[in-house]
Amino acid sequence: MQRYDFQQPFRDWWHIFRDELRTVFRDQGVLIFFILVPLGYPLLYTYIYNNETVREVPAAVVDEGCTAVSRDFVRRVDATADVRVVAHCASMEEAKQLVRRREAYGIIRLPRTFSQELARMRQTSVQLFVDMSGMLYYKALLLSCTNVSLDIGAELKVKRSPGTTDEQDMVTQQPIRYQQVDIFNPAAGFASFLIPAFLILLLQQTLVLGVGLSAGTARERNSYAELLPINRHYHGLARIVLGKSAVYFLVYLWNAFYCLFLVPRFFTLPQIGAPWDVWLVALPFLLATVFFAMTCSVLIRQRETAFMIIVFSSVPLLFLSGVSWPGWAVPEFWKVVSWAFPSTFGVNAYVKINSMGAHLAEVRHELFCLWAQAAFYFGTALLVYRNNIAASRRRMEQKREGIRQRLGQRRESPSTAQ
Amino acid sequence: MRSLSKIILRELRLLGSDPLAWFCMVVAPLLTALFFTTFMWQGLPTDMPVGLVDGDNTSTSRQIARNLDAMQQTRIAATYADVSEARRAMQRGDIYAFFYIPHGTTRLANQQKQPTISYYTNYSYLVAGSLVMRDMRMMSELASGAAARKVLYAKGATEQQAMAFLQPIVIETHPVSNPTLNYNVYLSNTLIPGILGIFIFMMTVYSIGMEIKNGTAGEWLGHARGSILTALAGKLLPQTVPFLLAVALMDVWLYGVMQFPCQCGAWAMFGIGALYVLACQGMGVFMIAMLPTLRLGLSFASLWGVLSFSICGMSYPVMAMDAPLQGIALLFPLRHYFLLYVNCALDGYPLPNAWPYAAFLLFFVFLPLFCGWWLKRQLLTVKYIP
Repeated sequence: MQRYDFQQPFRDWWHIFRDELRTVFRDQGVLIFFILVPLGYPLLYTYIYNNETVREVPAAVVDEGCTAVSRDFVRRVDATADVRVVAHCASMEEAKQLVRRREAYGIIRLPRTFSQELARMRQTSVQLFVDMSGMLYYKALLLSCTNVSLDIGAELKVKRSPGTTDEQDMVTQQPIRYQQVDIFNPAAGFASFLIPAFLILLLQQTLVLGVGLSAGTARERNSYAELLPINRHYHGLARIVLGKSAVYFLVYLWNAFYCLFLVPRFFTLPQIGAPWDVWLVALPFLLATVFFAMTCSVLIRQRETAFMIIVFSSVPLLFLSGVSWPGWAVPEFWKVVSWAFPSTFGVNAYVKINSMGAHLAEVRHELFCLWAQAAFYFGTALLVYRNNIAASRRRMEQKREGIRQRLGQRRESPSTAQ
Repeated sequence: MRSLSKIILRELRLLGSDPLAWFCMVVAPLLTALFFTTFMWQGLPTDMPVGLVDGDNTSTSRQIARNLDAMQQTRIAATYADVSEARRAMQRGDIYAFFYIPHGTTRLANQQKQPTISYYTNYSYLVAGSLVMRDMRMMSELASGAAARKVLYAKGATEQQAMAFLQPIVIETHPVSNPTLNYNVYLSNTLIPGILGIFIFMMTVYSIGMEIKNGTAGEWLGHARGSILTALAGKLLPQTVPFLLAVALMDVWLYGVMQFPCQCGAWAMFGIGALYVLACQGMGVFMIAMLPTLRLGLSFASLWGVLSFSICGMSYPVMAMDAPLQGIALLFPLRHYFLLYVNCALDGYPLPNAWPYAAFLLFFVFLPLFCGWWLKRQLLTVKYIP
């Protein structure tokens, strides 16, 4: 009886691992997506959003009454951080021309009766016209004007109740005070909100692309356009899948460290999570993504296919993750679709831990789903590789059979001729 | 002319038998349009979950909670015993914000001692956070007002007098052209062309790059009798047609079926879309001319295409970016398409008002004139290295 060689699987594994490592580091296309893009893209993206919010939105003012109160209003709006008054126009027409030339993004109109109504102790209104090409302009203009109107309103209330103490004035201004606390992203910044989600998505997309490219290359290089080379080391399903995945996983351990820890630090984005918690999420996320990528890679016959399918899915995936569009408003159908991708849970778990300081208990659900995905996609990766190997063996057999038949015919034909 | 039609026929044969081409030019653009419009079907999300920590538990505090619940954007999903519990719910993602009414609020208000209530909003989800913040702020104003109004009514003021006293200045907002603050309008109008742009870049690079990869570039140029412009025209026109169809379908879907604002009329938007398609093709030719290896060209196309979404200024305004980025933004066709769309469809200004952007798109269209000779040299000299 032949003794089973326990070292053989490890030798095979090591061989496959080294082989794949060599492929990855020799292939320009794979290198771009495994190393270059994860290194450069986060910096570029964060740089775009790094100013966090829009300040000094240009606005035109049409002050029809031109009284002391209305001028005070305009001055205070101009003094806010978010709005800059660029022009005082004589008429709405003039202001509209400015908006049309994109010199202003909003018009603040104070009616002729503005001060009169106030003096008569009636409610008066300020009209605000906003260019809707960007929601941030709208937000900046509306918030600034509202704040100023509330401030002036509070002061007027005090003026109108004479003969009171300061303490009483405070109460008149606001019987119940209120306080807005913006937690987790105090600047309401764009980078702090979008970049964490983007980083996780970038890890997934580049990994899937890189693995897809590497599979495409393998098909183009190997004889008979097979995914796996015909080689004595390439047997044993688990060895093949684990050998290849170990390479991807190792490369992405570094990428994850760079993207999830260093990039937020470079740009001082919120980073209040415990590092170990982030790793405990990153681990199943990377595993799930690696096996997801390997499963997908079998479908890719040509290197180019990888680009077309994966690149375009990036933007929809960002929306599916429920960060840029509130998860509660996502239609049920798309929610179910989103469960197929590791990024959905990865993004949510990372945002919760990194930006919101959640502990593992709060991301239990995501963690569970990521491990489930890792297990599921490991299974599918084994399955598709098995099918692939079986199919390629069948093709080999057919080819061998064909050759044998042809040889046989050739051997027969001279004998019949004699 | 004969050589042009020869190349077109050759290209049609190549495209027709390539499933990838069908995917890029027909299936994917349709899927994208369907995805975004159905995804944001609601337009403006409503009834988003917020929490309540009511330490006061009086009829006044319950009134505040009821009013908040009745607001359009917010729904009180749960009440929590204390702030830490609410914070944990927020970290779990159950709620986007919570309202905190401390113990003794009503008593202090009745004693005219100015208690403080607070609301906590989570801007890690910026859109959701901003939406619920508006309602919670309004609620707080009203809560404060309600207390003061009681006093005023007691003193014999009419409602009009009371309102004039409580809120002397009202801000009337007019969000021009998008009065319902529809996010679908705001996002779909740029996201769908953006994705279409990625496919145009890729198809252009792919179809030219494949000639290099398969070593058929000489044959292709030979059909054009050595004229690179004829060769490019023959190659790209068969792709222009399905992309124009995609633009037409997108316009019908957005402005016809979904009834998004389009002040200039759908035909004008189709014209701008057509210009955009040609501009992207011109840009694609430039990409493969600069990086004449298929995989590098495609990498360039995909990175440029994905970057378009951020740098075009649809979500985060270009004027808030650093100066170098404001210049770089001009190199992206999507940026100009976005500005033309805002000018014509959203604001309803005539096209000449935004002529520089149209001129930029035209420049992209004619880019192959400038880089054609270079591409020809690359086609004839570069050998594909796997």
